[in-house]
Amino acid sequence: MIDLDFTLTQGEFVLEVHQRLDQPVTVLFGPSGSGKTTTLDAIAGLRKPSRGTIVVNGRALFNARVNLPPHQRHIGYVPQDIALFPHLDVRRNVLYGQRPGQKLSLDIVASMLEIGSLLDRGVSMLSGGERQRVALARALMSAPDVLLLDEPLAAVDLELRRRILPYLERVRDELSVPIVYVTHDREEVRRLADSVLVLDRGSVVRSGSPEEVLE
Amino acid sequence: MPKVAALVVGLLMAWMSAGQTTKSTAPVLTVSAAVSLSEALEECAKTFKTRGGGEVRFNFAGSNVLARQIVNGAPADLFISADEEQMNVVERAGKIVQSSRVELLGNQLAVVATPERAALVREQFGRAAPEIRRLAIGDPAAVPAGVYARQFLAKQGLWTAYEPRIVPSANVRAALTAVETGSVDAAIVYITDAAVAKRAIVVLTIPASQGPKIVYPAAIVSNRHFAHSDQFLTFLRGAEASAIFARHKFTPLTSVGR
Amino acid sequence: MDVWQITTFTIATALGATVLMIPPGLALAWLLARRRFRGRLFLETLISLPLVMPPVATGLILLLLFAPRGPLGRLLASIGIDVVFTWRAVVLAMTVMGLPLFVRTVRAGIEQVDRRYEAMAATLGAPPLRVFFSITLPLAFPALIAGAVLGFARALGEFGATIMIAGSIPGVTRTLPVAIYTFTEIGRDREAALLLLISAGIAFAALWVSNYLSARAGLRA
Repeated sequence: MIDLDFTLTQGEFVLEVHQRLDQPVTVLFGPSGSGKTTTLDAIAGLRKPSRGTIVVNGRALFNARVNLPPHQRHIGYVPQDIALFPHLDVRRNVLYGQRPGQKLSLDIVASMLEIGSLLDRGVSMLSGGERQRVALARALMSAPDVLLLDEPLAAVDLELRRRILPYLERVRDELSVPIVYVTHDREEVRRLADSVLVLDRGSVVRSGSPEEVLE
Repeated sequence: MPKVAALVVGLLMAWMSAGQTTKSTAPVLTVSAAVSLSEALEECAKTFKTRGGGEVRFNFAGSNVLARQIVNGAPADLFISADEEQMNVVERAGKIVQSSRVELLGNQLAVVATPERAALVREQFGRAAPEIRRLAIGDPAAVPAGVYARQFLAKQGLWTAYEPRIVPSANVRAALTAVETGSVDAAIVYITDAAVAKRAIVVLTIPASQGPKIVYPAAIVSNRHFAHSDQFLTFLRGAEASAIFARHKFTPLTSVGR
Repeated sequence: MDVWQITTFTIATALGATVLMIPPGLALAWLLARRRFRGRLFLETLISLPLVMPPVATGLILLLLFAPRGPLGRLLASIGIDVVFTWRAVVLAMTVMGLPLFVRTVRAGIEQVDRRYEAMAATLGAPPLRVFFSITLPLAFPALIAGAVLGFARALGEFGATIMIAGSIPGVTRTLPVAIYTFTEIGRDREAALLLLISAGIAFAALWVSNYLSARAGLRA
């Protein structure tokens, strides 16, 4: 469960988010520049709100006294530009966040996302869809408390989109990690979202189930 | 690669923390001396050693650098300077055993030129003839040799005539090179430098009476190895060392009554 | 003149200085590239000083610090370590003079590393130190090599500060540049020329090694 109650001011732009996210998949929906990525950054600890609180599973990540650095937040993040480490092969990328003694193993994640055959490849030798799955695997392998995905299918063509969507559904169904998913594509909202927040110019203007919001 | 680096650093650390070796019966003397005295002094040290004296280590550099080091406590046992000013600096700082200060060596100035121009320079130098268009000397603002050269010219009444034609050089070597490459017509250097010049030859030797008093003072710096320092200094003022210095064209100023 | 001794001594001390300047150099480069803090400008200027001051001036400062009656010299003497007029002074002078070049180069390299990678590593649970060694440094590796080579080259050619704090003691603190100076001063041009050739040879070799290492690093991943 994610409690967001913060304000983030950056120049002229003000982002206000006061929401409780308690569904498996919450989608942040809205035009570009509305603050979706900034919200993810704030949860991950890459951007600091001006004031407010961010609490995940009862654990305060940000409040008046505390501002946990990203490496202490247990957040999995797949950014829009993916950012796989260029100097490491796929296996080392995926295993980067693995902590000793955690229950989630490479085999499970690799088979779920079907990247077993890619493990020894260099990162530059992956197709767009493969990169997405590897980035997803990497975020999952750190056994996060919440998974943040920023427009994972934005840079991918229709055909590929059709093929990756099932993986995302699989992640949602087989792992119990809550997901916050940013997109401006209605199809993705329909297929993946349990709840939707519509953002516009820094404010949540609508919220509810996909059917309610999309009609 | 990181392992190799770690190993090297480890070795370096171990090496650096090794202390000084214990003192043997004949301590190694550290003598800070002007660079111009290198060859002569190294010969002296070799002879000193065969005569049963101890080991001598030299630190050759410009006298100003040496003086600085000593003033700041660098561990030299003996100081031989190329000019009195630097010795004065060290003396004023209370760093020498005062009673040990002596005038060890003298030197002479010489006018040098290339063999082709030698005859002309020899004839015309005293008259500051216009054919001598450029004259190199050490920079009077920086180098003792330059100061002496200027003093000499002034004493001879030639300074005003030559002043616009002076090419000040960073050091005496540079002045010599200027002559040898034809950049200048003549140079005033020490006779000891002229002795090792490749192409330039001595055209005029300035006798001590006409020239400024050029003195290389020596003094014992600390009481650390006083007896041995004194032993070596005495050797340097003795007959054998004097012969070596004379061969290198220095003027030994052996003292009276030691 | 023992050419072999002078050459090996110079290479050994220059290598030692290069290794010595790496840990503080990396730390400083990272600090200046990635962190904002008060006194940052002061630190930058301090590090650049040996670059802009005449080496003799830097040597003088080192002498004041490390001579037996200087603050650091006294401290070290109390545990039996002499610096002035020993090989330690040579390494010290080389390290101090080479460090600014190393820091500059590595800093530029670190600044080129996309901060997104570092941010990603952090979200994956890596604390700052791990991020530095597993992400930043490998990605800035060519700059690290270039910086080390520059530092080494500077150490090899170091003269002004060296002669001030280490003196020119044959067999003990005489490096190639110091020897070249000394021989030139007394007119022994042939020996000086030989040493000059050797210096140039070492510089060439260093550049060759650096190119080789850079190519290897570039071919990785």
